[in-house]
Amino acid sequence: MSDVARTEEIAAVESPALVKPASRVRSAKPMIDRYKWYEVASIYLGIAVFLFFVLAPFIEGFLVSLKPLAQLFSTPYSFIPKNGSFDAYVNMWTSVPMLGMHIFNSFFISSVVTLIVIAVVVPAAYAFARFQFPASGLMLAGFLAVNMFSGAVLLIPLFRLMRGFGMLNTYWAMIVPGAAFLIPSSIFLLRTYMLRIPRELDEAAWVDGASRLYTLRRVILPLAMPGIVVVAIMTFIGAYAQQFIFALTFNSKTEYMPLPVGLFAFFGKQEVQWNELMAASFVGILPVMIVIVFLQRYLVAGLTAGAVKQ
Amino acid sequence: MSQLSLKRLEKSFNEARIIKGIDLEVSEGEFVVFVGPSGCGKSTLLRMIAGLEDVTEGEISISGKVVNDLPPVERGIAMVFQSYALYPHMTVYENIAFPLRVEKLPKDEVEKRVQAAAKVLQLEPRLQHRPGQLSGGQRQRVAIGRAIVRQPKIFLFDEPLSNLDAALRSEMRIELMELHKRLGSTMIYVTHDQVEAMTMADKIVVLDAGVISQVGSPLQLYHKPDNLFVAGFIGSPKMNFINGTVKSADGTTITLDLGALGTLALPRSAKIGAGQSVTLGIRPEHLKLGAGDFTLSVTPRIIEHLGIHTVLYANLPAGENFIGLFEGAPEVEETKPVQIGFTLDQVHLFDQAGLAVY
Repeated sequence: MSDVARTEEIAAVESPALVKPASRVRSAKPMIDRYKWYEVASIYLGIAVFLFFVLAPFIEGFLVSLKPLAQLFSTPYSFIPKNGSFDAYVNMWTSVPMLGMHIFNSFFISSVVTLIVIAVVVPAAYAFARFQFPASGLMLAGFLAVNMFSGAVLLIPLFRLMRGFGMLNTYWAMIVPGAAFLIPSSIFLLRTYMLRIPRELDEAAWVDGASRLYTLRRVILPLAMPGIVVVAIMTFIGAYAQQFIFALTFNSKTEYMPLPVGLFAFFGKQEVQWNELMAASFVGILPVMIVIVFLQRYLVAGLTAGAVKQ
Repeated sequence: MSQLSLKRLEKSFNEARIIKGIDLEVSEGEFVVFVGPSGCGKSTLLRMIAGLEDVTEGEISISGKVVNDLPPVERGIAMVFQSYALYPHMTVYENIAFPLRVEKLPKDEVEKRVQAAAKVLQLEPRLQHRPGQLSGGQRQRVAIGRAIVRQPKIFLFDEPLSNLDAALRSEMRIELMELHKRLGSTMIYVTHDQVEAMTMADKIVVLDAGVISQVGSPLQLYHKPDNLFVAGFIGSPKMNFINGTVKSADGTTITLDLGALGTLALPRSAKIGAGQSVTLGIRPEHLKLGAGDFTLSVTPRIIEHLGIHTVLYANLPAGENFIGLFEGAPEVEETKPVQIGFTLDQVHLFDQAGLAVY
């Protein structure tokens, strides 16, 4: 850690020599955005410390995936891989032949959950944002309460329910509870976003003869798009993260297993293929990364849109 | 036959009575302005006519047909909102075309009507822009454009100019009046600004706490206010009010005791009991420097020089505010007492209940 921090500090200490004359001439920044060199230094130091804690497991994981298995158990432990290679990324496909299927399952389950959640949440959020109906406040409070239960608490009743519906050992066993747990918070989130859209727009459309559904489709949906994208991303990530527990409990068929459970295949009878396990984890995250990179501009726009609009 | 008629119209939100029985007739082509202080129910009344609020009691009819339970589009009205309520993700063209798209009109008809509206409102070069790129006045015109493409019988305006700056406001006022002349349709216009009401209206409806205080042409309201509220609301600066008591009333003359200001005999035929407290009203612009039929002496607190006018602020002996408006720049100075007079035919008199006495 100290290495990273020190280089940051040195860089920051050196910078005033470069920055100061420029700021004395005339800084383009407004007064409120101007900082002393030591303020800038401490901001960057803080960021560096924070990032290090967040990223350290990933760095370690990545380095492990590059090492041959024998090196992982050597003493003294070497952090930097000696004669590291990407062999694990090749071998993992043969040592666990279903790996591709597991990655696809993860992606597929999360995508279907996201689609279901969006389809349900958009009209529900509009209703909660616009209509006055009995017990709407109570229901919203109920949604928050549901969020306080983790899925784990409800596993046994859910198992009975799944068995009753004959959904055990199907994709639905992972999709249905996954969507159910993500819908309430999404309604909350999107409702808040829709409340920011002026009510006059609905009224103007109503005066012009548009039905509620037409207004939702032509006026509210396009304006709420950034909010919907945020909900979609959150749901996708949420579904990706929570599938482990549902998959473990409600499914015993290898071909339906998502990646988090599928990774257990790397646990052999004698030894655990740690390097390949790490490699598989990184490859498994890729689809999520791609989705996020693709939607990121909407995500950023979505988070600031409310602040900028009147 | 009147085009719009309101009969004993009432509106309550839970326990709160907002509109307390309103009767009004509006004939075709009239420009009617609802005016009143905030909270008087003028916007609620407009929204009831639009069909955005339920009617609690009474009846709204348009062209002889009761429309209480009809949605806005079947009432033949179009509304322009205070916040314009433009759709920010659509171009100006699509904003104006919106009601026609809802109606599912054929493409060439939409094109024809939008172009016609754009021409009237001088929006042609702006059709492909989004509302965010337009100035306040242009946004306002887009909102009006969206209202006129449907060719409604009645236009409703809810404080449409209150978001504009002063210069643009007077410009748009003229444009709206020209639009009214050109289209010849009925317009109902809500504002809290009595200057807008005075300049634009054929008929002003003054509302006070959910009831109609007076209906009339701008000059009727200015010259013959029915009550104290209308007298104080119409005209700028506000009418001066001086409290007094009746000394005697003989059927031709009422003699008033104005306390420290002395007594005043007004030609009024009304019989009014001696000892009753009354309010005398005189508009600031009807005051003259020097002696008149009645003369009083005040010490100016503040003097505003506007070039064309000079406004004088003072207090009467009893503490009431007193404002004088004089043409040009007469020689008056702050803290230096002046003589101010007025003629008796310009005096308004109101009884205990605030009703005008003639």
